[in-house]
Amino acid sequence: MGRSDDAPARPRAVSEDDVVDVRGLVRALGDRAAPTTILHGLSFTIPRGEFVALTGASGSGKSTLLYLLGALDRASAGEVWLDGMELGELDDDDRAAFRNERLGYVFQFHFLLPEFTVLENVLIPMLRRGTIARSEAEDRGYDALRMLGLEELFARKPGQISGGQQQRVAIARAVAHDPAVILADEPTGNLDSRNAETVFGVFARLAREQGRTIVMVTHDVDFARRADRQIRLRDGRIVEDTLHGPVPASRA
Amino acid sequence: MSGALSALRTSVFIGLRQLWERKLLNGIAVGGVTLGVLVLIAMSAIMEGFEQKFTQAILKISPHVILFDTELHAERPLLERYERTRVAAAVSHESPPDRQARIKRPHEIVATLGGVPEVAAAAESIAGMGLLEFGGKTKSIDVRGIEVRAQDAVTPVSQYVKAGALAALETETEGLAVGSGVAQELGLSVGDVVHATAPGGRPLDLKIVAVFEAEIPPVDKTRAYTSLRTAQTLLGRADSISRIEIRLVDPDVAPRVNTALERMFGYDGESWQESNANFLSIFAMQDMVVSFVIAAILLVGGFGILAIQIMIVLQKTRDIAILRSVGLRRRDILRVFLLQGVVIALVGGALGDGLGKLAIHYLGQLKVKAEGLVKTDTFLVREDTRFYVYGLAFALLVGVVASLIPAWRGSRVEPVEVLRGQIG
Repeated sequence: MGRSDDAPARPRAVSEDDVVDVRGLVRALGDRAAPTTILHGLSFTIPRGEFVALTGASGSGKSTLLYLLGALDRASAGEVWLDGMELGELDDDDRAAFRNERLGYVFQFHFLLPEFTVLENVLIPMLRRGTIARSEAEDRGYDALRMLGLEELFARKPGQISGGQQQRVAIARAVAHDPAVILADEPTGNLDSRNAETVFGVFARLAREQGRTIVMVTHDVDFARRADRQIRLRDGRIVEDTLHGPVPASRA
Repeated sequence: MSGALSALRTSVFIGLRQLWERKLLNGIAVGGVTLGVLVLIAMSAIMEGFEQKFTQAILKISPHVILFDTELHAERPLLERYERTRVAAAVSHESPPDRQARIKRPHEIVATLGGVPEVAAAAESIAGMGLLEFGGKTKSIDVRGIEVRAQDAVTPVSQYVKAGALAALETETEGLAVGSGVAQELGLSVGDVVHATAPGGRPLDLKIVAVFEAEIPPVDKTRAYTSLRTAQTLLGRADSISRIEIRLVDPDVAPRVNTALERMFGYDGESWQESNANFLSIFAMQDMVVSFVIAAILLVGGFGILAIQIMIVLQKTRDIAILRSVGLRRRDILRVFLLQGVVIALVGGALGDGLGKLAIHYLGQLKVKAEGLVKTDTFLVREDTRFYVYGLAFALLVGVVASLIPAWRGSRVEPVEVLRGQIG
């Protein structure tokens, strides 16, 4: 990832505290002759520690935006700066390494590996990185599970715990390695209201107590309102960008 | 690099766990490989067992190289050498018996052979066709006139003597040792006297001094040994030596030594491989056919791995997408599935080796009654460490090749496409 050395030569984000800096982001899908444009030149920044809800109707492009922020997809035009890196300049391996080290994902369908225990699921990203010893990784994994009230389930397989618990394990996996940004794609979309409330509560706590930067795609109006900020998309354009909650320190 | 090591460890961890959690499917793939390796080992053991037995059988009673009485570069008669006309050459003072082929100065050849490092022993002898009559029955035989001790050093006939003693040919001037098949057919036993005749020779009454059984039916049913002098009288070829039989230190080099000896002495020679070329070529053909069968079975085992792995990769698309999204590289995914192929192959290979060893053990005890080229009452098998090494090596090759396609496919999974499909 030596390319980050070139970064200062380019125009940098407005503030060093902006973890996410999106500039003129365009994403088109389909064949080259008749492409379908999903995102029409989005630009915004997210300061460190902000809890952002990304809302919009189905097909508004919010998931696509999340994949682009998550270095899973490539922009057709524009730039995505994330934690000081322009993702468009990274090759496949570098993007994988970037995801491994700086990002945490939570998906709608909890997406745990069925063959591995709860703790092992949390550990795998850290094991792949290999920068810390396995014992330390296990400590961090336990800490993350304890924070989510799951420490007693560490030896269970995903099939042996409830959907809400599985989603919390996925959150533990996303936070255990201390990522720069947590990206969540409708994490409550597949849960009943009680579990959804619990899971949303976990995100809120991560934001308030640990100062995590979180971008969460959600359909739930109530949850969106309870985030620090709501960005609403329609047909690939930002139609609303509202600050609600406590403004992060860097913005004051 | 610790990064590369931890990446490898992670791939191994994931690969082995996934393999273990799908015991049934992967067990079937292992079974395919096991079967292939088992067949490879069992077939090789049977083939080589029979070939080895046959070769041993040939070598226990046949010389490694024989020099015959055919001169390769016969000297032209004196007259022809100096008189260039056909008429002169046609004038001959030789009578037919004088023109009988024979090896000239055989003692010198044997003495010279004693100095050739590849040669272990050499013996002069005479061979011809004869007829035995006993109790109203007759049987044609292949008579060999030998110098007992020298011949025994080349072809250890005395080891196979069932009754009497071969050495008695040295003392009993008109003695005869016959194969067990000859003895059985004529109803002979040691001490009987048979009437022997041969075209062009003098009929003799010979006393049976020994019966031998080499367990090679073609030999046991036709051959008879007598002393050199008796045979020369019987065949009417006084003082003639028709062949020199040679035993080598290493039978495998016989063709090369044969060529050298032909050049050295000017007589036509034949290695045991040439004498048995028809059988050996059948073996070569059989080897090839069996190799095809083994290759086909291993190929089927490979397709088993391929099919099952492809299925697993397709089922695991979602898991691959998760692993990729949390930071595993394409090559990590590739390694996970290649490793699974290798483990399947190694487990299958090891099981095949174990079962192969058992198969060899039990095949070796199988009772069969065979009397053709070789006589045996058990299945002929040969065990060789080589088979096990080949079994494992072929299994590994098949495993790696068969899992390449699924592994490559798995590594091409684009997480974003899978995620888009899920969320729809």
